[in-house]
Formats: sequence, C-alpha cells, structure tokens
Amino acid sequence: MNIRCFPRKFSSALPPLVPLQLPSPMETHLWYILPNEVKSVALLNQYSELLSPCERENVNRMGGDQLKKRALLARALVRTTIARYQTNCQMNPRSLKFRKNIYGKPEIGIDVEGKQRKIKNDIIAFAQRYFSPCEVKLLTAISDSEIQRQEFIKLWTLKEAYVKALGKGFSAVPFKTFTIRFKASTIRCFHLPGNSVSEASEVIVESSDDPKNLPNNWQFALLEVAASHYVAICTEKDKIVGGEANRPMKLTVRKTIPFVEDVCVSGTDAVLVLGGIIEQ
Amino acid sequence: MASLTGVSLKLTPLSSSFKPTQVPFLGVSNVNSVSFPSLTMRPGSFRIRISCAAKPETVDKVCKIVRKQLALPADSSVTGESQFAALGADSLDTVEIVMGLEEEFGITLEEESAQSISTVQDAADLIEKLLEKKGA
Repeated sequence: MNIRCFPRKFSSALPPLVPLQLPSPMETHLWYILPNEVKSVALLNQYSELLSPCERENVNRMGGDQLKKRALLARALVRTTIARYQTNCQMNPRSLKFRKNIYGKPEIGIDVEGKQRKIKNDIIAFAQRYFSPCEVKLLTAISDSEIQRQEFIKLWTLKEAYVKALGKGFSAVPFKTFTIRFKASTIRCFHLPGNSVSEASEVIVESSDDPKNLPNNWQFALLEVAASHYVAICTEKDKIVGGEANRPMKLTVRKTIPFVEDVCVSGTDAVLVLGGIIEQ
Repeated sequence: MASLTGVSLKLTPLSSSFKPTQVPFLGVSNVNSVSFPSLTMRPGSFRIRISCAAKPETVDKVCKIVRKQLALPADSSVTGESQFAALGADSLDTVEIVMGLEEEFGITLEEESAQSISTVQDAADLIEKLLEKKGA
C-alpha cells in the first residue's frame, strides 16, 4: 500500500497521538483492540471523524450495531497506529490516504479467529475439500471433537497468514497445495539476555507443488490472545549470512484504545504462545 | 450493466432511430439497480449489456445457506444485494458458505470463485452458470 501524509493541525477534540518508534528490521509489532472495552459513544464518534468518507460508508453498510462498531474500530486502529509511526511529521490520522497497488508485496500475513467459533460444516469434510492430505490425516486422528475444532481453527489461521504473507491471493496458493505442521524445535536460538523466548514447537510449511517458493523462508507465530482469539502471524525469516542458526521471531504485542491508552501485553497472560519460536 | 431479478424482460430494438434520451423499456417486476453507459453516442455504436440473473429460487436458497452460516437473526434482511462482508462474514465464513453451496447444488466452485463473489446475487449467478454447464 502507498501512504501519503499531509501534516495538518489537529482537531481540538482529540489529544495528540503519542508517537511510536518504528520497529527495528525483522521486528514485528502487533496491536489489537477489544471492542468491549470501548463504550464511550463520544469516543466512537471521534473515531468516525478520522475515517475517509468511503470508509465511513463501508462502516454504515455493515448490518447491525456490533458489526458497525467492529468495522469502525478496525479502521480507526489502522489509521491511528500508522499515524503514530510517522516520525518525521506530526501526523493527523485523518490525512492518511490509502491506495492499493499491485506491486505491494506484504511479506507479512496475519489472521485472527475467535477460539469459540463454531464450524457449520463437518470439519473433516471441510478439511478434505480444502486442506492438504497430511493435514486431513492429522485432524482425523484427533478423537476429541472440541480439540479437533480448536486445532482446525489454528490451522486455518496459520494457512491464511501464510497465503496473505505471500501476497498472491487465495486462488494463487490454494490451501490444498501446502501443509503446515508443528515440529519439535531442534534449532538453537540466539536472543538477548533478559528477553523471554518461547520454545513451543516450531511451525513449518511444506509446499506440495511449487519448487520456486522456498517455504523455509517463512516463520510463524501462533498465539492465543486475550484468552479469546487465535492469532497467526507469518513473516519472512531473517537470513543470517554464513550462519546455520535461526533467530526467533521478535514480537511485541500491545493492546490499545486509540487516544486513550496502550498496554504492552507481551510476556503476560494475555499472550500465550502456542507455536513458533518467539522472542517477546 | 443492468442487473435484474425478474425472469422476463422486454427491450425496444436498438436501431438508428433510437434517441439518446429514451430509456429502454424493461418489463420486469423489480429492478435492483439499473445503470447505463453514458449516452453520448453516435448512431449504431450504442451497446447495452444485460446479465441474465439467477432465478429467485436460487437466490432464496443462497440466502438460506448464508443465514444459517452466519447465524443471522430471523428478522435480519438478506437479499440478492446483500454483501457477505456487510453481513459479518469473514474469509472462513465465505469458504464455509461456498462449501454449503457446493453441497446444496451438487457443483464444484474453484478457489477463484470464493474470492470473486461478494454478494448473494454473485453466488446465485455463478451457481446457475455452473448448473447450466453441467446440465447442458
């Protein structure tokens, strides 16, 4: 995406946004907002002011108040968070213009699903239709239907995150053509002393039919956030010249209410690492 | 492109006597949205594209599957124009809906389809196209 910024005076209604330091290379920042924590109608109206007319129209098109609120918070979160990383000028989030272009390759993908989400179709039938044979086998082997459902959702988020990171769209990388699985971590990790490194199983992807795409370039994080949602993140691996070692994914997770508060939740109960080698 | 839910339609024949200000008569019961190409024309160069839309029964079946998948309250409105995203569907919902449609209609939808359908009408039209190919 291209972003252009036009410095402008702030509206007097909202406090200025607290600026943020950009992540260092190969560092990932994850921000989330919990809709239930945003109750003030006045605040929601102020968020609405930040959106472009097009975005506001999209929000209004959503069916029902809960969906409208979610859509509004999502756009407000994007605008305010990006605005805070603009260190050159004091950014007004309202001034951001988003353009999509075909050249943008994300190199990072993310997907979120509610833990309690019910699957309407038969899980194995769904997996047989869309997942790889290896993944079907793994899911079929789970006898507890609740655990099977949870593992299905985790797998879905990981697969979505991978496809998004590749940036080619769902149809270019059909889910059936690659397998994502967990493998016990045998790699040595280097990390700064004092940081916590979770060494849950490593998450790896194997491509069935694309030799050009080297799945070893990608690393994953699978998290349980706020005890309610599974979050999968897929990023390119940091290539270390001449070294065998892999670095963990450097991740900082923050919960936020724009203009009100940020809470760094990395390393707390709010962020449970379920998969991937993560340094928080 | 004019999009219609009615089954029968009537058009005045396109001829050199066609005046730019006239709108072709469409004999249908309800028209969802009608938009025409700009009418600055030279005689004979005017083109109008009509997409023959799916039968109402197909649209209804799709609506039913969508309602079930998204667990929508009985009083919520779902029509051909309804956008999946606006009803609260995310990517997993859309794929589940596609799978539900495949089972209901006995067809197979390619991955591209799941990406390209954004309204109930899109889904119904695609289904009928596939049924036509299958049945022909």
